[in-house]
Amino acid sequence: MIDCDVHNDWSSSNVLLPYIEPSFRDYLIRGELPGARGSFPHAHRPWLHPEDFRRHDIRPASDDEHYGLMRENLLDRYQPEVAILTGEEAIEVSTLANPHYASALARAYNEWMVDTWLPRDDRFVGSLVIAPQDPKGAAVEIRRLGAHPRIVQVLASHGSYRPYGDSFYDPIWEACAEMELPFAVHLGGQGGINYQPIGGGPSTYYWETHALLLQPGMSHVASVIANGIFERYPAMKFVVIECGVAWMPAILWRLDANWRALRKETPWVKRLPSEYARDHIRLSTQPIERPANKQQLWDVLAAMDGENVLMYASDYPHWDFDSPDQLPLPKDWLPKVMDANARQVYRKLPQATAASPALAA
Amino acid sequence: MSNPSNRRRRLCKASDLAPGERLIVDVEGRSIGVFNVAGQFFALHNRCPHVGGALCEGPLTGTTLPAQQRGEYVYGREGRILRCAWHGWEFEVETGRCLSDAKVRAKTFTVTVEAGDVILHL
Repeated sequence: MIDCDVHNDWSSSNVLLPYIEPSFRDYLIRGELPGARGSFPHAHRPWLHPEDFRRHDIRPASDDEHYGLMRENLLDRYQPEVAILTGEEAIEVSTLANPHYASALARAYNEWMVDTWLPRDDRFVGSLVIAPQDPKGAAVEIRRLGAHPRIVQVLASHGSYRPYGDSFYDPIWEACAEMELPFAVHLGGQGGINYQPIGGGPSTYYWETHALLLQPGMSHVASVIANGIFERYPAMKFVVIECGVAWMPAILWRLDANWRALRKETPWVKRLPSEYARDHIRLSTQPIERPANKQQLWDVLAAMDGENVLMYASDYPHWDFDSPDQLPLPKDWLPKVMDANARQVYRKLPQATAASPALAA
Repeated sequence: MSNPSNRRRRLCKASDLAPGERLIVDVEGRSIGVFNVAGQFFALHNRCPHVGGALCEGPLTGTTLPAQQRGEYVYGREGRILRCAWHGWEFEVETGRCLSDAKVRAKTFTVTVEAGDVILHL
């Protein structure tokens, strides 16, 4: 089993001090922060979880304690073979106006993650966090660390300045292709320069908004297809993390219909959008939709070949955690969804072993 | 394109349908569009295989050719692409082939010019 979304939190952003370059170290020590000393520089979203978005007892004083709780509540309990670390607040660098500071923070996070989290557990692999508002700096970072054997993807928040297929981000795609890494977006970055976090203007309540936060996921899926990312980089995978899944077939139906009528607008797009999606886009399952009648969900997901495009994620330790033993999907999909699909996307992972459900299927 | 058959219908004089012009006729309960494309005549069922729109009432136009990269626009096939009047699906007027889905074809009919008359073969 592979868990595609595990949050390696820090007790304080001060953990970055040994890793951030001197030009920006003072910013962390004396500069303005959005909270108390030790809070992480970012623009916060305007919806605040009334019970905190983490499980209530995940408030450790040290990073070792974070790891201890993760072992107890996730790793030893459910025994994934691989846990893909996705950081916690680090992707929020995407909200900062100063792209140089944002990239410096991302670099410091990556150093800290490689230096302190990966050695804690053989099951860990990491995501390379970038500041997408600094595409050239992000590309340098992707080339600097992308060859690390335990860094399996490039990661940015799904809240964004522009949709990710936009030519603004070309250096990021080029670097991902060169380093043979998937580009992933994870729920987050709803603030600051990412000034359109949600369609129709700001919603009111946290739970209301959280249910709608798949919206940028839709934009990115449409954008990367319409901008021909997969024609340019035929081996590229784009991963959408924590945006839910049931919306995807409907969006693909709509994209297919429009492209059939207006392919002339993007003559570099040569296949149906749904065909690119099937070959190149993967969705992590959490937070999976849970209708009273599971069959309704299965029918929708089958329309996008869910068995082959979904990848299990727990989102440990957040409030909308999906445990691996309660996933509302057809049993015969599970070998691929729980394991094999992720191994296809993340080529640095060991391919299926005798112990993995991929071979048991 | 369907084979010429014995069921023939004289539509008009070839000189009555200038290049770029079309004629839409009802034949045995079917609406059929006949096009003069640079002196060659083609006919299609006036019913789009998408959802039955009035295919032959759409613009006869050109389109962008397949491009190698984003932002590359090469316009071509002027006067040879029929866009459905309703939803804009593009079809090659000569073959009925749909540009966005090779599996989809609009029904075509053979047209000949005999002794100056345009003949539709059903």
